[in-house]
Amino acid sequence: MLFFIQSIKSTPIAVSDRSIDPLAVNTRTAMESMIKKYQQKFRKAKEEMDRWSEAQSRLISQFNNVSSIIERLPIIRKEENFGALSCVDGIADAVLSKQLQSLQSILLSMGDTLAEFRGVVLSLEKLHRDGGEFVRGGSSGQLGAKQLQQQIGLKPSLSDCLDGLKLLYNMHFAEYRLKSSIVSALPLIVFKSSISDLSSLRQLLADQPNIPPDEVRSILDIIFAEEIS
Amino acid sequence: MSTESGDRPGSSPDQSVSPSSTRKADYSSSVLRLWRPAAQRNLRNQWSNLVSGKLKWGSASDSGRAHATALVNAYLSQRCMISMELGVLKDLADIRPKACQKLSKQQDSHRCKLLSSYASLVAAVSQMVNAHESMRCYRNQATDSHIMKFSNTPADKNDNGDGGGIPVFTFLSVPFSENLAQELVEMFQFELTLKRLLILELLAVGCEEKDCDKMSWHDELYLGEFEDLALCHLYKTKAGEVSSTGLKGRHFGVPSEQKSKLNNATFQVYLTTWIAEVNIDSRRVNEILALVGEDMNVCFR
Repeated sequence: MLFFIQSIKSTPIAVSDRSIDPLAVNTRTAMESMIKKYQQKFRKAKEEMDRWSEAQSRLISQFNNVSSIIERLPIIRKEENFGALSCVDGIADAVLSKQLQSLQSILLSMGDTLAEFRGVVLSLEKLHRDGGEFVRGGSSGQLGAKQLQQQIGLKPSLSDCLDGLKLLYNMHFAEYRLKSSIVSALPLIVFKSSISDLSSLRQLLADQPNIPPDEVRSILDIIFAEEIS
Repeated sequence: MSTESGDRPGSSPDQSVSPSSTRKADYSSSVLRLWRPAAQRNLRNQWSNLVSGKLKWGSASDSGRAHATALVNAYLSQRCMISMELGVLKDLADIRPKACQKLSKQQDSHRCKLLSSYASLVAAVSQMVNAHESMRCYRNQATDSHIMKFSNTPADKNDNGDGGGIPVFTFLSVPFSENLAQELVEMFQFELTLKRLLILELLAVGCEEKDCDKMSWHDELYLGEFEDLALCHLYKTKAGEVSSTGLKGRHFGVPSEQKSKLNNATFQVYLTTWIAEVNIDSRRVNEILALVGEDMNVCFR
């Protein structure tokens, strides 16, 4: 197997290929196993993000249900809209209260979905935190900035790993805060029943502005560069 | 105490057991010992019939909603056809009449499907009503036989089939079980009547264009509807009238047959009322099923 020892800036550590320094070989294998462990963490992070996207599609469908009920409310509040049904005494009140009931239960299940997002954020935070401790308190002792930047072949550098985990955590954390503030604003909109607000909120929920997919992809591409090629 | 573990839906409640000497109207302990397993099996079967009726209701109601929405949409597009901006298509010969014809055909097919969803709703309710009424388990012993049998029909007018009111499983007696089933079935009966009213209105959608007569509350909506409704106790055969209890036990006056031009809001109200199922308190339904399921050690989902 042939390894290229690359370094961003040329440093004494970047030993030339011919004269292999035993110390460098040791560090290299240690580094490789560390990188492997980080890749493991990213695999876990990917699973967590899959959980996020499932929760996301659930949230969108719940939001759609909520907004269609909210849009209907003004119509079912007017008894003259009940047409032939108005021969049934009390039908308008019954339909209205039933709709409010379903609205409430969907809002409750949106709370469950938010808890799911929160679970993902907590896992990502743990991955990020463990990753940091791993470098600081690892068996190899303190690592210098140079070692952090060192890159072996297509493998990512340690700092790529650290930054990646941190970024993924930050993105999802910010997005979670956005989502929870939108969801908590929903009951207020029920009273205003302003449809334009609803569609812009829906857009915001669907877009997930804090999690740019390109960026997520490029982080993962760097970490798993070997697997792509 | 033998507890039947094999839940065999559709198995006959009749059961052959060892001979019993006495045959009295009140239940002796030896009879009860034989009655109980038979009653357990019967009750379990009837409750699973009820639950499967409820599931059938759910899918029929869903498909009914889909067909009703499609019908209304086709009608509204047809109504908009005259003023619709057709762009490059406007030069095609007869494009508007052809489109209208097509939409009208679509409405016919949706109307047909809606009606068949309604028929499935009726079937679901009649299954539930039947299950509710078959919860008792009667002794049925032929005079010349020593074999004690049980069935759903009373052979002895002194036998009311409830085992003297003892708990069949853990704590539910037959009458108590019947009361719960009654509460549940009633919700669906009321909702069926309300849905019939909606069906009547929805079937009339688009009919004014075709000059066909709107059906009235007293008409049979499909062949054999009244027989099916009678099974649901929603049709009085002697008086020849359909029950009009539309909302939690309250009667409504039979709708007048005015031909009013319907607007979008009313359509939306109709569809919302269809979805809302105001008579069915799903929380209570789940509560009842959880209670009964726990007693019988069965999970109704």
